[in-house]
Amino acid sequence: MNYILSSLIFIPILTVLLILCLPARLQNGIRLLSLLATAAQLILAVWLFWNFQPASAIGGSMYQYVEQVNWIHLNLQSLGQLQIQYYLGVDGISLSMVLLTGIIGFIGVISSWQISKNVKAYFALYLLLLGSVMGCFLALDLFLFYLFFEFMLLPMYFLIGIWGGPRREYAAIKFFIYTLIGSLLILVVMIGLYTSVIDPTATAANLSASFGSEETSGTARQQVQQLLQQGNIPAEKLVHTFSIPAMYQPQNFIPGSLLHGMSQKILWGLPVRLLAFLLLFIGFAIKLPMVPVHTWLPDAHVEAPTPISVLLASLLLKVGGYGLVRVLYPIFPDGGIYFAYLVGGLGVLSIIYGAMCALAMSDLKKLIAYSSVSHMGFVLLGLASLTAEGANGAMYQMFSHGLISGMLFIVTGVIYDRSRSRIIQNFRGLAFAMPAFTALVVVAFFASLGLPGFSGFIAELLVLLGAFTSSGVSGMLPRWLAVVATGGLLLGAAYYLWALQRMFFGKFWVHPAIMEKPIMPDITKREYSMLVPLAILALLFGLFPSLLLDKISPALNQWVESVLLLGKEQIAVVLRGIA
Amino acid sequence: MKNTGTFLVQALTDIQNGFAFLWPEMLLTFFFLLIIGLDLFKSIRIKAIIPFVALAGFLFSIFLQLQILNNLGNYIKPVFFTGLLTSDGLALYAGLLFSVAGIFTVLLSWLHPALGKNFKGIGEYYAFLLVLAVGLNLLVKSLNLLMLFVSLELVSIASYLLTASLRYQARAIESGIKYILYGLLASGVMLYGMSFMYGFGGSLNFTQPAFWENLSLLNSGFFILIFLLTFVGFLFKVAAAPFHFWAPDVYEGAPTPIVAFFSTAPKIAGFVVIIRFLLAFNHTVAGGLENNIFILAGGIALLTLVVGNFTALWQQKARRLLAYSSVAHAGFILAGLTAMAANALEAVFFYLTVLLFMNFGIFLTVQVFEERLGITELKDLSGLGKTFPFLGILTIIVLISLTGLPPTAGFTGKLLLFTSIWQNYTLTGHPLLLTLLLSALLFTGLAFFYYIRIPYYMFFKRNLSEQKKVSLGRENIVLALMTFPLLLFFVQPAWLNELIEQVIFYSK
Repeated sequence: MNYILSSLIFIPILTVLLILCLPARLQNGIRLLSLLATAAQLILAVWLFWNFQPASAIGGSMYQYVEQVNWIHLNLQSLGQLQIQYYLGVDGISLSMVLLTGIIGFIGVISSWQISKNVKAYFALYLLLLGSVMGCFLALDLFLFYLFFEFMLLPMYFLIGIWGGPRREYAAIKFFIYTLIGSLLILVVMIGLYTSVIDPTATAANLSASFGSEETSGTARQQVQQLLQQGNIPAEKLVHTFSIPAMYQPQNFIPGSLLHGMSQKILWGLPVRLLAFLLLFIGFAIKLPMVPVHTWLPDAHVEAPTPISVLLASLLLKVGGYGLVRVLYPIFPDGGIYFAYLVGGLGVLSIIYGAMCALAMSDLKKLIAYSSVSHMGFVLLGLASLTAEGANGAMYQMFSHGLISGMLFIVTGVIYDRSRSRIIQNFRGLAFAMPAFTALVVVAFFASLGLPGFSGFIAELLVLLGAFTSSGVSGMLPRWLAVVATGGLLLGAAYYLWALQRMFFGKFWVHPAIMEKPIMPDITKREYSMLVPLAILALLFGLFPSLLLDKISPALNQWVESVLLLGKEQIAVVLRGIA
Repeated sequence: MKNTGTFLVQALTDIQNGFAFLWPEMLLTFFFLLIIGLDLFKSIRIKAIIPFVALAGFLFSIFLQLQILNNLGNYIKPVFFTGLLTSDGLALYAGLLFSVAGIFTVLLSWLHPALGKNFKGIGEYYAFLLVLAVGLNLLVKSLNLLMLFVSLELVSIASYLLTASLRYQARAIESGIKYILYGLLASGVMLYGMSFMYGFGGSLNFTQPAFWENLSLLNSGFFILIFLLTFVGFLFKVAAAPFHFWAPDVYEGAPTPIVAFFSTAPKIAGFVVIIRFLLAFNHTVAGGLENNIFILAGGIALLTLVVGNFTALWQQKARRLLAYSSVAHAGFILAGLTAMAANALEAVFFYLTVLLFMNFGIFLTVQVFEERLGITELKDLSGLGKTFPFLGILTIIVLISLTGLPPTAGFTGKLLLFTSIWQNYTLTGHPLLLTLLLSALLFTGLAFFYYIRIPYYMFFKRNLSEQKKVSLGRENIVLALMTFPLLLFFVQPAWLNELIEQVIFYSK
C-alpha cells in the first residue's frame, strides 16, 4: 500500500486514457468503466480513512503514506537552484477531503448516467477533473498543488460550457477568468515564497561537497538552518524549494528575503508578509467563495448540469477552504492574527448576505447556490477564530457541507429532469405526487439548515462555540460576530422552510406552461441510490461525530496551536516594523 | 606605409580565420545558390525537389551547429572579421533555433496546398527563406553597427519578398507594400540613430566599453533620444509597441508558414541584438543614464503589454488575433529584459524556445482552418471540435501553453520569467519592476480570454453548416510533433535549461 496516494490520483487519469481509446458508441461501456474507476477510488479512500493513525504527540512525521520523488531540478546560476518534488502525503487536514472526494466522485458518476450527448468526452473530462481535485488535496509541494489547482479549471470550463444550460458559455468563461485571476494572485505569492525558502536537506547535500563529511540528516538540517540564519551560505549553493512542510518552518526562510518571518519590509504601506497574506487570501477566497468575490458561483451552478453542480459545490469549493488551512494560515500566521477580525467579519458577511440572497431567489438551484455561499462563511468564521473548536468546526463544515450540498443539488436535478424547470413558483404540493422524494428532500433541507442529529449541526455548533470563546481564549474575534452568525442560522431555516412549504405542501399543481398535464413520477432506483447513501452519511456523521473528529482533531489542534504561537511571535516583530 | 601593410596583413589573416566560424552561413548560402540553379530548369519534377533541398540545407546546418556547440571545449570568445562578428553562445543557440524554425517552415509549406509543386514562385520562395536564415544568423553574430544594419536589411528584404509570395492574392501584395514602407521607415530611422551613435561613440563596435564611455559624456536627454532612434529598428523587428503596426497587416497577407516564421525567428534575432546592447551598456555607463534607459525599457515593455493584450481582445480574425498575441509575448519578454540582469537571460531564452514551438503549432492550425477547411473568421470555426477532435485537443494544448497555464511549457517559461523579475525587484527595489510583474500576471489572465475563443467556437458552438470531412492525417502528425515538446518541457525543463545554461556560459 505504498503507492496508495498516487493510485488515488492516477486511477481516474489513466481511466481517461482508456476511455479515449474506446469507440464513442460504447456508451454503456464508458459509463461502467467510469463507475468502476470511481468505485476503486472510493474503496481506496475509505481504506485510507480507516487505516489512518491520528497524529500522536510522539515525534515522527505528521504525514502518512508519503511519496516523495525529486522531479524538476533547475540551476538558476546566481539565484541558486530550484527543486520541485513530486511530494504527496495525507494528514488530518486532508483526510476528510480525500474521503469526501471518493464519495462524491462515485455519486457524481451515478448522477451522470443519463447524459447522452458526447458521453465519451464527458466522462473523460469528468475523470480528469476528479483526478485533479484529488491531487490538490494530496499534494505537499506547492508547485504540484498549483498545477492541480489550475488544471481543475479546464475540464470544468468545458463541462459547464458544453453540457450546461442556456447561458452556459457566459457562466463557463466567467467561472474560468474569475478563478484564474485568483490563481494568478496565488502565483505571485508562490514565486515570492519559493525564492525565499530553502530545503535544508538538499542544501546540506550541496554544501557537504565543501564540508566533505557525511552527517545524519537531522543535525545537518539544523546546521544548515543555523548557517542560513547567520547568512553564511553563498547564494549559488542554496536550493530553493516549493515544499509546503519546508515553508512551515521559519528557519528555512532566507534572512533578508522579502517574505522572511522577521522581515519588516513595507510595500504600499503594509508589511510585505501581510500583503502576501491578503493576496493569498483573496486567491483562495474567490474559490471558497466569499462575499464579495462570490458572484461567479450562482451563474456557474445554475448553468452547469446536475452532476457537475454536485462536483462544483462539494469538491471545488472545498479546495478553497483547504488552501486556507493548508497553505495560508501555517505559512503566514502573522497575517492570520492581524487580519482575524477582517476574515471573521467577511465570514459573517458571507453567512448573512448569502442567506438573504437565498431568501430572495425564485430559482431553486440559485437558492441552494447562495446557501452554499452562506455555509462556506461558517468555514471562514471558524478559521478566523483560531480556536480548537473553531478549526475543527470549519473542517467538519467542509466535509458535512460536501455531503449535504451534494444531496441538495441532486434534489434539484430530480425536479429539473422531470419538468425542465427549477422555478419555485411553478410547483405546489409535490409531496402528494412524490412522497418518497419529499421525505428525502425534507432530510436534505433539515440537514442543511442545521438540525441536531445531522452533521451540519455538529459543524455549525463547533464553529459558533469557537467564535464565542475566541475573545476569551485566543483574543481574535469579538463576541458580537458570533451572535450575528447565529442569526444566519435563523435565516437558513427561513429560506429552506419557506421553499419547502411553497414547493412541496398544499395542493398538487404544476404551472401549465411547464407541463400541460402535471405528471411527476416519484424517484427512480438510480436517484434513490444517490440520495439515500448521502442521507445516511449525513445522519451518521451527525450522530457519531467522533468517527471523523478522532482522526482529524489532533492535526487541527496542533494547527491552531502552531498558528497562534508562531503568529504572535512574528506579528510582534512585524508591528514593531510599522511602528 | 609599413603600418598600413601590417594592418592589411593582419586584417586579411583575421578574415581568413573568420571563415572557419561561418560554416553554417556558408552552407546555407550554398544551398541558396543550389536552389536558384535548380529553379532554372522548367521540369516540374526538378521543381518538386526544391523543398527537399531546402529541408536538407536546414538539417545540415542544424547538424553543423550542434557539432560546434558540442566542441566548445576550450572556449575563448572569438571576434573575427576585424571585429565585425562573434560566434559566442548566444549566437550559436539562436542559430540553432533559426534552423529549427526553418525546418518547421518547410514542413508547414509542404502541407500548404497553394505552395506545392504547382506554385509558380516555388524556387524563389525557398531561396528567400534560406537567405533570410543567413541574414538572421549574421544578425545575431554582429558586433558592429554597420554589420547590424547590413544583416538587418538582408533579413528585411527577404521578408518583404516572402510576404508577397502568393502574388495572385490582393491581400498579399497589400501586406508586402505595407511591410516595405514601414520597414524602410524603421530602417531609415535606425540608421539615423546609428549615425549619431557612431559619431559620438567614435567607433562602430558597440560592445567596446570605450564606445559607451564616450556616449555617456552626452547630455542625458540626447543620449536617450539616439538610443531610442537606434532601437526603433530592433523593436520594429520584434513587433513591440509603438512599432508594431505592421504586424497585423503582414500576418494577414503573408502565407501561413512565413507568418509563423516571422513570429518566431526575427523575434529571437531582435531580442539577441537587444540583449547584446543591454549587456554591453549595463556595466559601462554612468548610473543616471542607466536609470533613464531602465525606465525607457520598462515603459516600452508596459506599453507593449497593454497594447498587445487589449487590442487582441477585439479581434475577430484568427490571424490578426495571433499578430497581437505576438506583440503581447514581445511585451512579456521585454518585461523580463528590463532589469538588464544577467540572470534574466536563461528565462528569456527558455521562453523564446517555447514560443517557437507554440507559434508554429498555432499557425499550423490556422493554416489547416484556412487552406483545408476554408475558414477565415473565428465564428466560422463553430462545431469543428466535434468533426476533428484530435485537431481540437492539440489546439487546446497549444493555446493553454500560449496563455501560460500548467501543465505546459508556456507556464514554466512564464514562471522562470516572473521569477527573474521578482528576484531583480528584491535586489534593486525599483517599483517599476513590481508594476511590470503584476501587470504581466494580470495580462496573463486577460490573455486567456482571447486565446480561449478558438476552442470556444470549436467546441461550444453547434455546427450549422455542412462540413465535409477532410482527412487531416499529415497535419495531425506534424501538429503532434510540435505540441509534444510543450508537454515534455513542462515535465522535464531541466534538459532544455541545462542546454541554455551552457550556452549562456559560453557567451561571457
